[in-house]
Formats: sequence, C-alpha cells, structure tokens
Amino acid sequence: MSTDQREADRRARFEELARELMDPLRHYLARRTDPATADDVLSDTLLVCWRRLDDVPDNALPWVYGVARNCLANAQRGERRRERLAARISVVAPPDQVTPVPDARDDELLEAMAALRPEDAELLRLWAWERLAPAEIATVLQVSANAASIRLHRARQKLRDELRKIQQVSGHEQSREGSGS
Amino acid sequence: MSDEHDELRARLRAADPASSLPRPDPDRVARLLEDTMSHPDTPDAAADSARQRSPLTWLAAAAAVVIIAGVGVFAVMNRAQDTGSPAAGPEPTSSTGAPSTTELRAPGAGATSGRCLPPSAEVLEKADVAFDGTVEEIEGDLVTLRATRWYAGSPTDLVTVRGPSEDLQALLAAVDFQDGGRYLVAASTDGRVMVCGFSAEHSPRLERLYGQAFGP
Repeated sequence: MSTDQREADRRARFEELARELMDPLRHYLARRTDPATADDVLSDTLLVCWRRLDDVPDNALPWVYGVARNCLANAQRGERRRERLAARISVVAPPDQVTPVPDARDDELLEAMAALRPEDAELLRLWAWERLAPAEIATVLQVSANAASIRLHRARQKLRDELRKIQQVSGHEQSREGSGS
Repeated sequence: MSDEHDELRARLRAADPASSLPRPDPDRVARLLEDTMSHPDTPDAAADSARQRSPLTWLAAAAAVVIIAGVGVFAVMNRAQDTGSPAAGPEPTSSTGAPSTTELRAPGAGATSGRCLPPSAEVLEKADVAFDGTVEEIEGDLVTLRATRWYAGSPTDLVTVRGPSEDLQALLAAVDFQDGGRYLVAASTDGRVMVCGFSAEHSPRLERLYGQAFGP
C-alpha cells in the first residue's frame, strides 16, 4: 500500500471513529466543566486519539473517556494555576446550589452527590450518565474491573445513605428527635 | 436489589446536566476533525513540511506551547552531578552489547511556576544536551527515548527521563509523550530539561529552531 493510501485510510478511520465518539465526548465534558474548557479539552482529546489511532481498542468509548479525563485534569491543573496567579477570580460558586428551582431539579440528589468523596461521585456519574458497565468504568479510571465493581457498589450505598440523611433533615425537621424511637 | 439500582440510576439520569446539550454544528465538527488531522505535531504532517496549515492549527500549537510552559516540570540530569560517574559525560558503550544511556530526571513539584518567553535559538544554543529522539517505552516512572540525532552533548543510544510519578505524569500529559512519538528535547547546562516550548514533540518549526541554534 502506498503512503498516500495509508494516510487516506488512517484519515477515514479516524473520521469514522471521531464522529461516533463526538457526541458522547461532548456530553461527558459538558457534565464536568464549563463550555470553553469543554471545547479545548475536546480538541485535545481528539488529537490524542488521532495520534494514537492504532492504540484505540475496539470498544473505544471507555478508553476515550479515559483520555478525556486526563486531558481535562491537565486543563484544570492549568486553570488552578491561573487562578492562583490572578489574585481573585470569582467563578467558583456553582449557581445550582444557591438558587432553588422548585420542580425539575433534584436538590436532594445534588446535595447528596456533593457530600460524597469526588472519586465516588465520579464513579456514579460514569455509571449513570455515561451508562458504563463496571468493566468499562475500570478502563476509564485505569483500575481493575474488580475494584471498579466493588467501589461502584460502595458508592451507590453511600449515595443512598446520604439521601436518607438529607431526607431526615429536610423532610422531618420536627420529628428528628423522635425518629429513632 | 437491581430494582433499587435502577431507581437510583434513573434518579441520577434525571439530574444529568447535559441531557439537553444542543447538537453541534456539522461544519464546526468537520473543521475540528480537519484541524486535528492536520495538526503540525502529528508525525504524518511533520514529514510534509510543505503542507498548508490553517491559522487554527498554529493557534493549537501555540496553546500547546503555553501548556508546556505552564507546567514547567524540570528534569535534572544525573550524569554531570553523579559523583560515581567516571566521566563528566554519559558513558557510551557503543561497541558492546548494552546501549549507552543518558539519564534525565523529573524532580519535585516545586518547579512548576514561572513564565516563559517564546523559545529562541539564542537561549537554545546554550543547551548542554539536545537531541531528536523517539519514545521507545513509557513504563511506570520512566520514559525511554531512542536518540536519532544529537545536536549537543555526548551522543548516547538512549535517553531516559525518570521521576516521581506525579511529576512525570504532568510532563507526560503536557508534552504528550506517546509511545513511538518523535520529540526534540534539550537540557540546559545546570542539568534541567528545558520545557517552555524548547522540548516538545517534533515539528518542522521546532526543528528549524534547533537548526538555527546548533547549525544544520
């Protein structure tokens, strides 16, 4: 095969892959960062995929989420550094937690997720939002399938515990004292 | 049990902040893919220096330089300071079995601040070690490059960069060291790998800079 042909082949392969991954990737990033960073990290991630096209496994998505995760962490490291340098930047407060919207938003869930360790919350996001199986979560997080499975199990349990706690506090303010008896 | 899971998962899904993400503009997607595939640092594009590049790709390259500059991970060269070493330079063992190696190291996280000027030949020519090489292996806290051309320093077959995993990971992510990738790497006289755009994946532009600094 000529070099031109190989190049054309490679490009076709990448385009197919990228178009297939584009939507899940955009969602993955939109769930985890602001739109501008999401755009940057999307192109970083695609670039890594292009360079490492031969390494991309058949079930590409979890692997690509793993790449996006690293690229995002990298972008956020840079972001934190800029924040330290610029004395005061005000972007920190997520508006979700301040303005209560009566319906549509599950505040108890958001609160419970926020109370979890970040690793546990991320496991649950990968499970529920990216709809990954434990073995796929393992690929993203670069841990063993067994470990992912156990951690997911525990994370679900912790989320349920947190939800229960929140419900006790918010739903039964008056009867809190009597709840044990 | 699984009902309980389903319920929890459904509740989480209902809170998915990206559930109403608008579809991307197809033109933008096409441009993004084209930019990715014509990135100046990809091996194929690097081989073809005459290829037309859009301003966006250069912008992406500039952004990459900024990232590298920002991370500013330094690697300390062992060989010059290593008191056990018989010679100042790396020991080439060319005629015998084992390949000769220059060792570089990524030190602690203290070295991550600082600002960078655009890379210039004037600064680069002071480098003690400068080479063109291909990443042969990334394993744990060690990156091994096979040097294909030496601009400065005593030539060895291999160069290793070793460091505590976190610093090395930062370096890996910033320079985007990939298995099989080709890089231009320089280290200054005080034994640090020069980042700030001096050490990066091979590109025609960076190669020109090395040519200016050390002669073709």
